[in-house]
Amino acid sequence: MTGRSASLMVTCLGDLFFPEVGVSIVRLLRRLGVAVDVPADQTCCGLPLFNSGYHADAAGVARRTVELFGDSEHVVVPSGSCAWMVKHEYPGLLADTTLARAAVELAARTHELSQVLVRVLGVTEFTSAVRGRVTYHDSCHLLRGLHESESPRTLLSNLEGAELVPLPGADECCGFGGSFAVRLPEVSSKILAKKLANVESTGADCLVACDAGCLMQMGGGLTRAKSRVRALHLAELLDGGR
Amino acid sequence: MTTRAEFLDRIRAQVRRAPGRFQAASARRPRHAAAEAETIRRELAERWPETLEAFRREFEGVAGVFHRVASVDMVPAVVAGIARERQARELVTWHPTALGADLAPALGARGLDVHSMPAAAPAGSAERERLRTIAARADLGLTGVDLAVAETGTLVLVSGVGRPRSTSLLPPCHVAVFDRTALVESLRQVGVFLEAWHGDGRAPAGGASINFITGPSRTADIELTLTRGVHGPKEVHAIFVEQPIRG
Amino acid sequence: MSDAELATPFRQRAGSAMKDAFLQEALTIATTKFIGLRREAFASFPEGEALRDQARAIKEATLQRLDQHLETLIGNVERLGGHVHYAETSAEARSIIVDIAKRTGARMAVKSKSMATEEIHLNEALEAAGVTPVETDLGEYIIQLAHERPSHIIAPAIHKTKGQVAELFTRELKRPAEPDPEALTLIARGELREKFLQADLGISGANFAVAETGTVVLVTNEGNGRMVTSMPRVHVAVMGVEKVVPSFTDLMVFLAILAKSATGQKLSVYTSMVQGPRRAGELEGPDEFHLVLLDGGRIAQIDGPLREALSCLRCGACLNVCPVYRQIGGHAYGYTYPGPIGILLTAMLEGAPAVRDLAHASSLCGACADACPVRIDIPHMLIELRREVDDRKIAPWSERVAFKLLAGLLRRPWLYRLAARAGRIAQTPFARSGRIGRLPLVLGEWTRTRDLPPVAPRTFQERWATDRDLRA
Repeated sequence: MTGRSASLMVTCLGDLFFPEVGVSIVRLLRRLGVAVDVPADQTCCGLPLFNSGYHADAAGVARRTVELFGDSEHVVVPSGSCAWMVKHEYPGLLADTTLARAAVELAARTHELSQVLVRVLGVTEFTSAVRGRVTYHDSCHLLRGLHESESPRTLLSNLEGAELVPLPGADECCGFGGSFAVRLPEVSSKILAKKLANVESTGADCLVACDAGCLMQMGGGLTRAKSRVRALHLAELLDGGR
Repeated sequence: MTTRAEFLDRIRAQVRRAPGRFQAASARRPRHAAAEAETIRRELAERWPETLEAFRREFEGVAGVFHRVASVDMVPAVVAGIARERQARELVTWHPTALGADLAPALGARGLDVHSMPAAAPAGSAERERLRTIAARADLGLTGVDLAVAETGTLVLVSGVGRPRSTSLLPPCHVAVFDRTALVESLRQVGVFLEAWHGDGRAPAGGASINFITGPSRTADIELTLTRGVHGPKEVHAIFVEQPIRG
Repeated sequence: MSDAELATPFRQRAGSAMKDAFLQEALTIATTKFIGLRREAFASFPEGEALRDQARAIKEATLQRLDQHLETLIGNVERLGGHVHYAETSAEARSIIVDIAKRTGARMAVKSKSMATEEIHLNEALEAAGVTPVETDLGEYIIQLAHERPSHIIAPAIHKTKGQVAELFTRELKRPAEPDPEALTLIARGELREKFLQADLGISGANFAVAETGTVVLVTNEGNGRMVTSMPRVHVAVMGVEKVVPSFTDLMVFLAILAKSATGQKLSVYTSMVQGPRRAGELEGPDEFHLVLLDGGRIAQIDGPLREALSCLRCGACLNVCPVYRQIGGHAYGYTYPGPIGILLTAMLEGAPAVRDLAHASSLCGACADACPVRIDIPHMLIELRREVDDRKIAPWSERVAFKLLAGLLRRPWLYRLAARAGRIAQTPFARSGRIGRLPLVLGEWTRTRDLPPVAPRTFQERWATDRDLRA
């Protein structure tokens, strides 16, 4: 990361529901000597509109985002799904506009958090904010959209104070799927129940993921079941101090 | 009724309108398939024992029963043994020209009721019916093999004169006799032979049916429990003859 | 699917399926097993990935010249003494086949497993014409006796327990049947052997057709494919136009990956290649061979958004990994083809309005695209279908309004901030100890089974704007 500066794309879910994740990312990057800025007036990457088929509207939101991050050297995204949207779908959505080239360039400069830490900065060792056993869920867009399953595991297995235990069916969907969760709530909940049974079977204290949507779904299920397992974002877990 | 012209025209129009999604090509076919098939034969002739071993492993892996004899005149004893184990008496077999040897007398001498399939197609449907009834009644069907594929443990049988489809299909036990000349290593090589047969070569028997047989008939349609012998044979035996059958 | 069943919203059908304990257990066992078998097969097959890429390329290349390849195929089938027919619609296909049956005096037809014949609803038409259709694939035989439709592309009776099959056989075949798969299979073998040998007409599908030689290829395990194409005096093969492949060399690429993707086998037990009717000198084989080429909405997609779905090999791998299919099974989808690819095929055959709900029967997880041997990007096309449903205003107006509001909000940061503040206020009665347990209206769909985090007292951007130590 030349010049060691990065812009944080905080994401709508992150901004509204999990601000502590953004705070942890800022702290983590600063500790690594990266200057962090947060372009003002962020809203959303447009994925919810895109996934439900409202592409003209999604393109409008994409335009905003491309313009907002036009000056960023690097963009760090806490969610695999939002990073995927920018990298994978923005170029197509804006192909016939004046921002076509800018979209392609933004796609190249945007990375999900674990990829930034491991692949871009080459840093893999952190101290855990939570001591105990952790288990990792592969969120679908990060795993299959961005082909990333290693970086989070590298970080978690090198995490001081935490023991990584494998999650059976880690690569299986948690059932969030955006609007799917409220369009077909019974199916979504049954898929979630299977995921949580797997989580409980690991004996882990903490469930980690790199996507706010997954964390809302799984975390919501865990607290409803009054489980002792905590759902945390990777950034929070890595933010254990020095 | 849609005519051919109408049907194809619609497709043509669509194909012309649609840009290709990406650069794509069909598989590269062998330039001279018959020559390439010959080359495969020659090369495999040198290493047939390894190919045979690979075939045996795969064949047994799909529940095939493998046997090995030194020469073709020892085949009847093995067949009789298989028949005895199953309390089988009646046997249908490919015609001697299709098998490469006349095994009927030796099999008959061992107490088996042998029906050889005729070399020429019968004149009427009554005769066809009669032969089919025999095949349906038989306990065991004896055939040759056109290709034995090591990669998958597969027997490739071409239908034709003196080698009807039912011999390897109707009786509950199928016994196939082959030698080193049938061995091929891979599906890719099978493709070369298929190209050769249909191009400048001619299929071993030129019938209208080619069957790849990989083990006995099976299903797992009921609770995913594997059962054998659904409509086709419940057992498949392969007898490898060390000395080439056709000398 | 009857009209009454289709009137039930998909969500309700899905709900019923999830309450069916037998079905749930069967689905879990079957899909888990298939997933494991497929994984093992490809784990020990390093060439597999390259072959998948090659298979995808062959399908694409074939589509780019589909008319030429079909012309070659037709010429060769006719050269071999076969007849080719052209069916634009299901109705036309039915009528062609019924005509053949009538003309040849057929009274009973044996059928090997063919999704294409399910798609065109052939059996009812045959029965109406006085021809008795007999399904011979064990799974299809079972569901035929039960008067049901298949619930999985390759394992049609996956939803039935052996107890249910035993009861079915006892009742329909009027003979006592033990709930033991081997015994039940033996019964079916006996019953169907008679039919194979007596039938006048054999009807099959086609997994592939080799253009260069006029060869129709059937991939089966039981032997019924061989029976149906050899024993009766007339054989009719029904085939979607997209099944043609240029040559045997191309065919071998598909054979190398099809069975592995479907059941984990290196090859299915029988790969049967049919080249026209019986030849001179042959003892067996049909007098007549007919190939019915089926459009049924496929041709329009050559230049359509669902073009990639034309590469489908009907292996069922996507069903086995789909988190939705694994919970609800095949019948809940309501159409011939279930699962992820089924939604696309239904749209192809019946049009986008038919999949107004089904297009959303997916969390877009992408497991299907991952498992597909020819790498069909199913999630991408599901999103395209959703888009079509929105553009054509088939989606309910309340939903369109909601998303319009959302879009407006996301483009206006001041409105977004206002909404956050409003949310914070509105949630106060519902938030308890840091989480929200129950909400009205659409959000109630979430909170029935899951907690929701509340809107944070200060959003990240609010903190960034005011907290000096955060910015420093």
